[in-house]
Amino acid sequence: MTTYIAPVRDMMFVLNELADLQEVGALPGCEEVNPELVESILDEAGKFASEIIAPLNASGDRQGSRLEKDGAVKSPEGFKQAYRKFVENGWGALSCPPEFGGQGLPQIVAKPVQEMWKAANLSFSLCPMLTQGAIEALVHHASPQLRETFLPKMVSGEWRGTMNLTEPQAGSDLAAVRSRAEPEGDHYRIYGMKIFITWGEQDLTGNIVHLVLARLPDAPEGVKGISLFVVPKFLVNPDGSLGRRNDLQCVSLEHKMGIHASPTAVMAYGDKEGAIGYLVGQPNRGLEYMFTMMNHARLAVGLEGLAISDRAYQQALNYAKERVQGRALTQPGAGRVTIIHHPDVRRMLMSMKSQVEAMRAVAYLTAGYMDQAARHPDKTERARYQGLVDFMTPVVKGWCTENSIEITSTGIQVHGGMGFIEETGACQHMRDARITTIYEGTTGIQANDLIGRKMARENGTTLKVLLEIMRADQAKVARVSDPDFNAIAASQNAGLDAVAECAEWVVKTYHQDPAQAAAVAVPFLMLIGTVCGGWQMGRAALVARERLAAQEGDESFHKAKIKTSRFYADHILPRAVAYRHAVVQGAEDALALEENQF
Amino acid sequence: MKVLVPVKRVVDYNVKVRVKADGTGVDIANVKMSMNPFDEIAVEEAMRLREAGTVTEIVAVSLGPTACQETLRTALAMGADRAILVETGVELQPLAVAKCLKALVARESPQLVILGKQAIDDDSNQTGQMLAALLGWPQGTFASKVKIAGGGAEVIREIDGGLETLSLQLPAIITTDLRLNEPRYVTLPNIMKAKKKPLDTVKPEDLGVDVTPRLATLKVEEPPKRKAGARVADVNELVQKLRNEAKVIS
Amino acid sequence: MSVLVIAEHDNSALRPATLNAVTAAAQLGGEVHVLVAGSGCGAAAGAAATVAGVAKVRTADAPHYKEQLAENLAALVVSLASGYSHILAPATTFGKNFLPRVAALLDVAQISDIVSVVSADTFVRPIYAGNAMATVQSKDAIKVITVRTTAFDAAAAGGGGGAVEAVGAAADAGVSKLLGQELTKSDRPELTAARIIVSGGRGMGSGENFKLLEALADKLGAAIGASRAAVDAGFVPNDYQVGQTGKIVAPELYIAVGISGAIQHLAGMKDSKVIVAINKDMEAPIFQVADYGLVADLFQAVPELTAALDK
Repeated sequence: MTTYIAPVRDMMFVLNELADLQEVGALPGCEEVNPELVESILDEAGKFASEIIAPLNASGDRQGSRLEKDGAVKSPEGFKQAYRKFVENGWGALSCPPEFGGQGLPQIVAKPVQEMWKAANLSFSLCPMLTQGAIEALVHHASPQLRETFLPKMVSGEWRGTMNLTEPQAGSDLAAVRSRAEPEGDHYRIYGMKIFITWGEQDLTGNIVHLVLARLPDAPEGVKGISLFVVPKFLVNPDGSLGRRNDLQCVSLEHKMGIHASPTAVMAYGDKEGAIGYLVGQPNRGLEYMFTMMNHARLAVGLEGLAISDRAYQQALNYAKERVQGRALTQPGAGRVTIIHHPDVRRMLMSMKSQVEAMRAVAYLTAGYMDQAARHPDKTERARYQGLVDFMTPVVKGWCTENSIEITSTGIQVHGGMGFIEETGACQHMRDARITTIYEGTTGIQANDLIGRKMARENGTTLKVLLEIMRADQAKVARVSDPDFNAIAASQNAGLDAVAECAEWVVKTYHQDPAQAAAVAVPFLMLIGTVCGGWQMGRAALVARERLAAQEGDESFHKAKIKTSRFYADHILPRAVAYRHAVVQGAEDALALEENQF
Repeated sequence: MKVLVPVKRVVDYNVKVRVKADGTGVDIANVKMSMNPFDEIAVEEAMRLREAGTVTEIVAVSLGPTACQETLRTALAMGADRAILVETGVELQPLAVAKCLKALVARESPQLVILGKQAIDDDSNQTGQMLAALLGWPQGTFASKVKIAGGGAEVIREIDGGLETLSLQLPAIITTDLRLNEPRYVTLPNIMKAKKKPLDTVKPEDLGVDVTPRLATLKVEEPPKRKAGARVADVNELVQKLRNEAKVIS
Repeated sequence: MSVLVIAEHDNSALRPATLNAVTAAAQLGGEVHVLVAGSGCGAAAGAAATVAGVAKVRTADAPHYKEQLAENLAALVVSLASGYSHILAPATTFGKNFLPRVAALLDVAQISDIVSVVSADTFVRPIYAGNAMATVQSKDAIKVITVRTTAFDAAAAGGGGGAVEAVGAAADAGVSKLLGQELTKSDRPELTAARIIVSGGRGMGSGENFKLLEALADKLGAAIGASRAAVDAGFVPNDYQVGQTGKIVAPELYIAVGISGAIQHLAGMKDSKVIVAINKDMEAPIFQVADYGLVADLFQAVPELTAALDK
């Protein structure tokens, strides 16, 4: 099984040259953040990912997590030890607030590290990731007492958190949540059934802190009547030690297409006396609290698309360099060659590589925006960056995860017949990637969010700002007289025109007939992602050119960057034109049939 | 007890090095560099001795260009207390390294120096033994187990065909073999702390050491390529080839 | 000028590595002398004197050389060094342990692990775990060298007639002592640590037939491995599996028997130094990586091979 090697060089290139690590380092609370520190963090995290987490990916997939007779869940072999090391080494606390024992590092550092965990072993990474979400919810909304009780151990990783939103009848539509909470003294009794609870039950940590959405008896109907509760697996005594088992239980694990090692639990609350829960923040504001974490969670899933694509690329590349098959087209007499000599294999690898690099740049750029939005001393700047974060989040989520389906599939294709054989390991990446376009909001939901809240509601203001930035950067590429740069600039220009036209169409149409806009929201989202990718690849090429001219750094890396950018401009970015067509011409087509005509 | 742990910056063990086309060496420009794996084991052993209460201070030392600071930071992040860089752009050979270390031993007065048995770049396997000779100290090379007790060290060594146990008077030199321990992973809090630990820089001249190389590398070449797919006619030819050509059986 | 080889021995006999070092020494020009330092080591010294090409054996017989401690051995060699142009020892754990001390005390470089002698001051040695070969020249008056034994043939033992001369012992450093030795017993080695591996594939036909491989492995002191196909077919347990999802091995000699060479298997053994393939299918991919390929029916070839090793 090929292992995973963290792409620290490309990560550092993106951080230093494209995503403004330096500027984040200038923000309050980020004084320690500099390229040297970040590189040593990435080096060590990369080592941990390669040597401890990645080796459990395939075995975890084969074994899966299993439900035992007593409702306990047994994680795959090695997960417990790996998780313990993960906690001991402090990785779970990287971006957590220092007052609860975290390192307080910014997102621009956290995201590359998360990418490594996800690429190494997506199932494993979900355990700390959801804890992260639960921590954020408690930090921002819970009472000091709840924070004191739960946060230090969640930050250290000794306990972990889950998010309990979905119910059988309430999936994408959380307004339909029916779980109920009945007040009893200083706490509540929770009753209800939750499904799709990632790592809802496990044997990695001593306690599990469930965050559960439920309705109070007097709550109004719909989304405004949902409250958020902390419901620990074991109650916590006043001295911090673990008390008795709460009335909640994992009653089943789903049998899934992928991420087998990550137990997806059906959780039953209050089958007996009612599970004891504590209200987080104000009553009826649970969904709102959940939304504050949404950007982080959605960006994190976008990162999964990137991560698993990179893993699939590494796997395909290693295979292509080793597998001897056929003869070179140009030198048929020269004996059998490794398949990387075949032009179509080259094309596939370039397609994977260029998209991975484009996604990485866009994702890290967005992480940098998050830090600016959270920490910039100037309020107006914070708001400006928040606008960019809000706009980019559904794009990164939707575009990176949709790409990952294509890229992991290409990874299988590179392998030929062996790719279809599970033992080779290429299949797992595709199976694992498949959930990413679905959970934390399907691509359709991301796209609706994009055209509605992030576009129509503000008449496309943020996108106009972004377009201006992209136009200015395109002009820099266009000024370079070099065939590669000319080609990149031309393709960028076509993409930007497409975005401008579609943006206008979306805003206008949304106000007149939202269904029409929604019918082409996904192509619109893909258009934005694809063009942003082309924007960043163009910037990367410009930086690489400067470095080459100054004879600085890794010559081969920088030359490859320019050629990879060119490939993206010629093979990937032209998709923008097709997306444009679908957006401005195709909405009615999508809605043309009556239901009974399908 | 104070312990000195020299650490070398080498091409990462995962990197397959390429010989430069002009034959002057291997191409290490822009290649990932890491701490020599045997030296990681040395740092880990020092850490374990500290955790056992035997060692009170761990001083990491590296010799070479400024970039060796990264290696020292890794040693600090693993748990060393402070670091010394002997900075020089000159190619350092084991004898020169041993002389610099001897001078540092005179300054620092450690009771123990733990070194990797060899560096995975030049594969010399000399520095520890040379340092021991220059200091007139006993040595326990290729250690697979180290016990410090009663003013001495007991070292189990890996020798061809098995193990042997030596008792050494202190101060002493120990060089590490692969099975001595499994180095820990650096923790995130320690990476953060490492930035604040002291790192001093000295020059070989400050130590009064002449580091001029004694060996000149005339050329570096690829090893002979594997001969692919030769067929043998029968078992006798196979045995003959294995004995006389490949020399893998007797 | 003469060349001094430090003998590796157990007092009664020379270790074979000494003979390879003598061959290297003979290529340097000048008389070859051998130092046998030990306790009651007359027999070993006598044996050294009969090695072809050895002009003189110098023997230091004293209790404190019994344990071959590096501190004492190095001091002795240094006391004898003047008059020698080269001092050699085999690059075994014995030679690697003490010879750098000699070099340091003489204030000269050591040239480690040489695989060939270009001239009296120029040598080839592997660096980067053998991924590159460096040609190095020593500027020192005395060249202190360890010799990779597999790179030089053994000098003929017996028949030579070198003189034996006793030399005085140096002082006992008294800073270290040997507490004990524990030499490995030679049961069948671990798969990942084995020098030789004999591996069987689906072509073995049954678990019973693996006995053929056991006989061969016993003769070679080899470990036994298997392809996934053989494991899946239930011929042998899981922990025999070599390959991508099994164990990754890189022995000096890997003998693949009845293994077609699926890419997953190759991934687990392709770094072996010498690969032998025995398969009746001449198109089997295993032959692409094999140094020596034998197209034959394994049920004949393996017993034949086992028998041939006795000859």
